[in-house]
Amino acid sequence: MSSTDDQTITLVSNDNVSIPVALKVAERSMLIKNMLEDIGESAMESPIPIPNVNEQVLKKVIEWCEHHKDDPATAADDDSDSRKKTTDIEEWDQKFMQVDQEMLFEIILASNYLDIKPLLDVGCKTVANMIKGKSPEEIRKTFNITNDFTPEEEEQIRRENEWAEDR
Amino acid sequence: MLMSPAKSNKYAIPVMDNDTSPHPESSSWGHNIALHAPGLPHHKSRENSLRAATIHSQCAYSPNPTYILQMAATRADSESTTPRRQPPRSLNDLPDEIIQHILYFVPPLDIILKVQRTSQRLHNLCSQPLLWRYHCRVQFKYWDPKHRIRQKFLGGVGDVDWQALYAHRAKVDLETTRILDSTLERQVDRIQKFELIADFGYDAKDTLLQHCHIDEEAEDVLARRYYANAILDHVHRTKALAEWEKILRGEDIPIERALGSFDLFVLHDQPGDLLEISDLLDDIVTRLCVETPDIAQLCARKKAIAVVKFLRAYNLTGIASEIAYRDLQNNYIGIALQDQGHPSLPLISVAIFCAVAQRLGLDAKCCGIPNHVHAMICPRNNESLDGGHLTNDNNAEPMYLDPYRSDAEVPVWNLQVMLAAWGIQEVDQPLFLHESSTAGLIVRTSRNILATVHEFRGQVANTDDNHHPTVRLHANPYADLDNAFYSALWANFLFATQPRSEVRSQRHFIPLILEKFEHLYPMDASLIEQYICPLFNNPSVAEHWELHEALRVVRAADQTPKQVTPRDTLAARAIKYKVGQVFRHRRYNYMAVITGWDVECGMGTDWCAHNHVDLLSRGRNQSFFHALVDDTSIRYVAEENIEIIEPEVPIPLMSLAGRFFKRWDQENHVFISNIRDEYPDD
Repeated sequence: MSSTDDQTITLVSNDNVSIPVALKVAERSMLIKNMLEDIGESAMESPIPIPNVNEQVLKKVIEWCEHHKDDPATAADDDSDSRKKTTDIEEWDQKFMQVDQEMLFEIILASNYLDIKPLLDVGCKTVANMIKGKSPEEIRKTFNITNDFTPEEEEQIRRENEWAEDR
Repeated sequence: MLMSPAKSNKYAIPVMDNDTSPHPESSSWGHNIALHAPGLPHHKSRENSLRAATIHSQCAYSPNPTYILQMAATRADSESTTPRRQPPRSLNDLPDEIIQHILYFVPPLDIILKVQRTSQRLHNLCSQPLLWRYHCRVQFKYWDPKHRIRQKFLGGVGDVDWQALYAHRAKVDLETTRILDSTLERQVDRIQKFELIADFGYDAKDTLLQHCHIDEEAEDVLARRYYANAILDHVHRTKALAEWEKILRGEDIPIERALGSFDLFVLHDQPGDLLEISDLLDDIVTRLCVETPDIAQLCARKKAIAVVKFLRAYNLTGIASEIAYRDLQNNYIGIALQDQGHPSLPLISVAIFCAVAQRLGLDAKCCGIPNHVHAMICPRNNESLDGGHLTNDNNAEPMYLDPYRSDAEVPVWNLQVMLAAWGIQEVDQPLFLHESSTAGLIVRTSRNILATVHEFRGQVANTDDNHHPTVRLHANPYADLDNAFYSALWANFLFATQPRSEVRSQRHFIPLILEKFEHLYPMDASLIEQYICPLFNNPSVAEHWELHEALRVVRAADQTPKQVTPRDTLAARAIKYKVGQVFRHRRYNYMAVITGWDVECGMGTDWCAHNHVDLLSRGRNQSFFHALVDDTSIRYVAEENIEIIEPEVPIPLMSLAGRFFKRWDQENHVFISNIRDEYPDD
């Protein structure tokens, strides 16, 4: 509760690099926020290891948190599936996500692990946009997926969904 | 499906058992999610497990962030147990939960046609029930009642094949659009095409609404909006008649649905469908309960007074000015609930009161006192209106209210005095102080509508005073009037056989309905076949043949391609005006648009005599034009009576012109023809 703007904590990436971060920025991660609440002030003094994320990715995630540190907290029921999820991505985030695919997946995994829901969403929307409008073969190529269907299976799926084909 | 979810591979999704718990997300999925994916939309279970871990660590060890984050890291990564893992090089390196989350942002048809064909694993992940329930919920608002969709949404996610349900709706959507497109192409087989869409019932409504609201810039905007509305109107009428038929069969239908069926005849693409009317009433009850928290504890009499006070405080009953009494909109419960001023006739005010009071557990009924419907509350459950035990007949008397104009109880002697003043004998009075049947209220509403229609038509003919009544519903006022009139005909026809009526009066409505059917509602052939024909099955009655012939003629005309009328003859080339031009009638002053032409008068001698054609300066030997008039009628006009005008936008014609035209050409001030199959050169 006593968090002030100038309070800083230290995160340590899994390749052992210490990165100082403003508390307010780090608390965009619900995992860190909840942990600090559970353990209390004492934890803020010692460096916090982030065992799943390397320096390059962690810095990228912190960059996002820094830019979004003043965003209003998302309401709890935003998660409910009764409202249409927007597929829009704001301009800054679009630029932020212009990274290679490996980095994109790393950001998604890190934001999932650190529990930064809005960043996870931006990452997933970015992947969804890459899927949109592509043929199955193009999707496989883009994302390095192997076709493990037998020709019979492929034909069966095609037939089951024939109704949805453009006419 | 290729692989059942149970057939396990390392990517298999959790098996959906018959989970009936109220929170399916956190029960059947929760365990799995908690292990693998913090951060996904299942915070509760994740937090709980994390907190559990924390508490445990506090007991056994000193607080240790490394331990906690390590635990989370292990959970976060289903592929490895060590925090260090290979960098993700393919979508396949992401855990199931993340891919499933990504799929929420992919257009559903892309999933069906593309994503699920890429690999076995993606195929499995694409069939997660939660994803398809989500799409069913956010993409579609209206569902055919056969799905019982509200119950499905409340039930366990695993109880329903959501993917199949989504596929069904997506199919209906595509089919509806395809059939509508072909309806717009040619003036043939439109009845049959309408019926194909109508067979989808309310499953087609969302798609039809989209076409009703098609962008202004669309190439065939007027035609598309017109025909989408026409089919939707037919779907609404089908629903209304089905609702009324339930009453005929003796089913107990809530008053708001019975009267809301009149709304369906004039609703078009506006909100105010039966379900929405019920929701609006539920909202009123919610607001009332917030303002009067002790409402549940009140005795019936006080409760009833609280309801009527609330309704009147928020102006939800009655009308602001008696001058507007006969306005058409006062007959519609759905419009009354949505309109800013909430105007309604006494009958509708009482219906609103009863619907609210019934929701609060009162035995509220409409009392059919002549001239002015009242509400009555009867004791129920052996409890008198004042809360005491119901012992004898003394305290079993109902109470009366007039929510239309008062928030006080109406003493029964007031009503008795009123009845006596109308010359009703005391012995007969109980008959009038009694509950009115739902059928009786429907017939009464239809008479109120007819009164407005007659008054309106009378006043339009007499142009000195056309201030009231006004017709201001959703569309062109004349079209609204047609629809309202048509609903009254159906209501009278269906309920004419109720006690105290005679079958003879039912027959009386057949020619009237058929006349409207032939001119305005040819797509209602199926409704006539369903609701009227079976009553006149016997070939020895005249109506049997009358109905048969009317249906045959309308269907045959619809199935026959229009005769092509090109401008390739000298005479045709000489015709001055073209299909799509707007004109004002030189003598009658109405605005109309040309929808066809003849080189010379094509009508018979009788028509010519009746319409004094020979008195025209150029008589029959001039070109004649078919025209759609802003009062919805189709007329036949001599060239010399036409004065072409070029308005910026002919507003009164815009909602009607789609019957024959694609759009308004802003530059040339003409309508663009959609009847080239008939007039290819216009």
